[in-house]
Amino acid sequence: MVSSTDVQKLFLQSLLSRPFVSATLAQTIWARCVAAVKAADPTLQIQHSSNRLAWDDFVARINVDLNGLDLEFKNLHDENTGREMYCLVNLKGDDVAQLATDYTPNEIAFFKAILEQIMLAPHESYCISSLAALREVSNLKSSMTKTQGELLLSSFVAKGWLHKTKRGRYTLSTRTELELLQYLKSTYPEEVLDCNVCDKIITRGIACPNADCQNRMHFHCFATYRRQKGTCPDCTTDWPREATDGGLIPIGEGAARDGQDAKRRVRVRSVDTSDDDSDEGDAEGEDEDEPAATQQSMDVDEDIKPKKEGKGKGKGKARARR
Amino acid sequence: MARAGPSRASQRYSQSQSQSQPGSQRRASQSQRQRRARHQEPEDEPEEEPEEEMEEDDPDADLRRGDADNDLARKANDLVRLALFNEHKRTPLRREEITKKVLGSSSRAFTIVFEKAQEILRSTFGMEMVELRSRAEVNKTANGANDEDDLDEARKAAGIKKRAAAIGSKTYILRSNLDPIIIEESLQTDEKILEEEMADAPSDDDDDDDAASSRSYGSIIAWNSTDHLAPIGFGYVVLALILVSGRVLGDNELKAYLKRLGANLTSKLRFGMHATQRNMTVDKYLEELIRHGYIERQRVGDNQKTGKGRGKRARPGADDDTGAQYEWRWGNRAYSEVGERGIAQFVAEFMVGDEDADEEEDAEAGGSRHARRGRQADDKSKFSKMVRGIERAAGGELADLK
Repeated sequence: MVSSTDVQKLFLQSLLSRPFVSATLAQTIWARCVAAVKAADPTLQIQHSSNRLAWDDFVARINVDLNGLDLEFKNLHDENTGREMYCLVNLKGDDVAQLATDYTPNEIAFFKAILEQIMLAPHESYCISSLAALREVSNLKSSMTKTQGELLLSSFVAKGWLHKTKRGRYTLSTRTELELLQYLKSTYPEEVLDCNVCDKIITRGIACPNADCQNRMHFHCFATYRRQKGTCPDCTTDWPREATDGGLIPIGEGAARDGQDAKRRVRVRSVDTSDDDSDEGDAEGEDEDEPAATQQSMDVDEDIKPKKEGKGKGKGKARARR
Repeated sequence: MARAGPSRASQRYSQSQSQSQPGSQRRASQSQRQRRARHQEPEDEPEEEPEEEMEEDDPDADLRRGDADNDLARKANDLVRLALFNEHKRTPLRREEITKKVLGSSSRAFTIVFEKAQEILRSTFGMEMVELRSRAEVNKTANGANDEDDLDEARKAAGIKKRAAAIGSKTYILRSNLDPIIIEESLQTDEKILEEEMADAPSDDDDDDDAASSRSYGSIIAWNSTDHLAPIGFGYVVLALILVSGRVLGDNELKAYLKRLGANLTSKLRFGMHATQRNMTVDKYLEELIRHGYIERQRVGDNQKTGKGRGKRARPGADDDTGAQYEWRWGNRAYSEVGERGIAQFVAEFMVGDEDADEEEDAEAGGSRHARRGRQADDKSKFSKMVRGIERAAGGELADLK
């Protein structure tokens, strides 16, 4: 039987077939779902309107349905474009969720290694060059060719797990920021910073030039803020009109300088690996020994946590403000 | 089960997080902890096997029953997750997997958990788990179609149902149960969606050699991103070849057909951008199709005892060094996902549709509306003729979706 609830069902099916959608695309799909259901039964009365309130209500209804399944239809602003993105997010990293990906454990390890390099990149640049990303294949436990690494990288990008910038550098994708936020926060507690305006993770944007001030904003948050005020909300330092005018400290790709990822950074997790500059792979190789390394999912959540306690504090990188 | 490990870890995680994170984060992690705690609850207690035999005068009976209900609900939710995630890989979900990953020690609850999960899938996602038919079932219905051509549809359908209840394959796939019109609509290109998809697409144009494979079609269901189109197209061709060869095709014959199509076992099939490998040989992909349950390869003769249908051809030649001969048939997933009729329509649409394009040109060149309508009717009859032809070639009535 066709019923008006079919709109929601069809919409969810659509979401399952896509890694993420922009808010506008999601709303267009919604409208189209309504049309599709009406095509099957023209007599149905279906509520639909294109205003934001109706949309938020629709999203809320979907999330009521998903409640209990540990899935959530969440939104976040893309840090590059400022566009609002939606994604069906898995909130739980159980053994069931391990199926959610067709990546092998070794491929997941590669992904995690890249995440680590992105998170530990110097000067809050949160990105690595494609060369540095590819170099990670040689630090994996099981062997992987560079060709395979390249394929994987483009697969990660195509599936929305990584973002590739115009300069050819890899950054966190909106999907990763949504779905792996817990993992990132627990693994890199000092590296995960929040935007002062929207309180969401920031890996691209600006920081107040005042060395003592901790204020950071996304580009799109800055643009909105700057329209009203000309000074830093925390320390009242004067801010330039445009984020690109100079004077503000860039976060993200803008902070990356050439040749800086020559050195690989490794988060030292166990106390006995005292040598900070220990050559590549050693420190990482160690904890991959644990059974957790067999985890098969992008939901890398669980396997790192037990190691948290033993981790040297900020060994890999002291994130002191300059 | 491994479950205890992760949940303990996550509990510790949320504790440490609520210490270290300010404001909003703490709220989030608290609710998370609550959720985890709720999840863990039933596990901390010993198994509740005797639940059904509980005496009426037990004061805790109601309470415990409530817990058991929660437990069942949680397991049903887990099964929904398992079914959804498993479908990503396209391998059928086996009952043992459900027992192992979802039910744990209370495997007796399969039916009730399964029903609850079905209900959630139907009401939330418009999907349901469909049990694939076992080999024996497929054979029986195939024979039935061959031997009792004159039986009317209804009786046959009833017969099939009875058998399905008796012997299932205990493997499941996920299938949409929305109205066929809605499904059809959801696959059509919509200009507005296409526009938005274009706007969403990452604009970096450095490695655009795979642009074709990452192209979008503006349909509600992004069918192009869930399957790899070139390989799945190849798979359908193989299914069609098997079907029109009387539902069974010798290995050598398949190779010969492929050769005529310009492919051999070492030809490469191209995969989309999101795959972890860019291409796969035909040989390997056939293996993959077997794993997914689309096709089956059997040694000739193996099937004899289960009552192979009559009218099957003799297979020439030995196939490999062991001297064994192989033949290809449809796998049970193909019967439940596309169906014989679906493949026949795919072939007919493809063949007739091609001519259609030519004729439209004719019509535009100067044909009157009357002539065009005539041709449309013509196409229609060609289409059904084609389907009938395929039916004959298959050696019996085409089966609908099972």
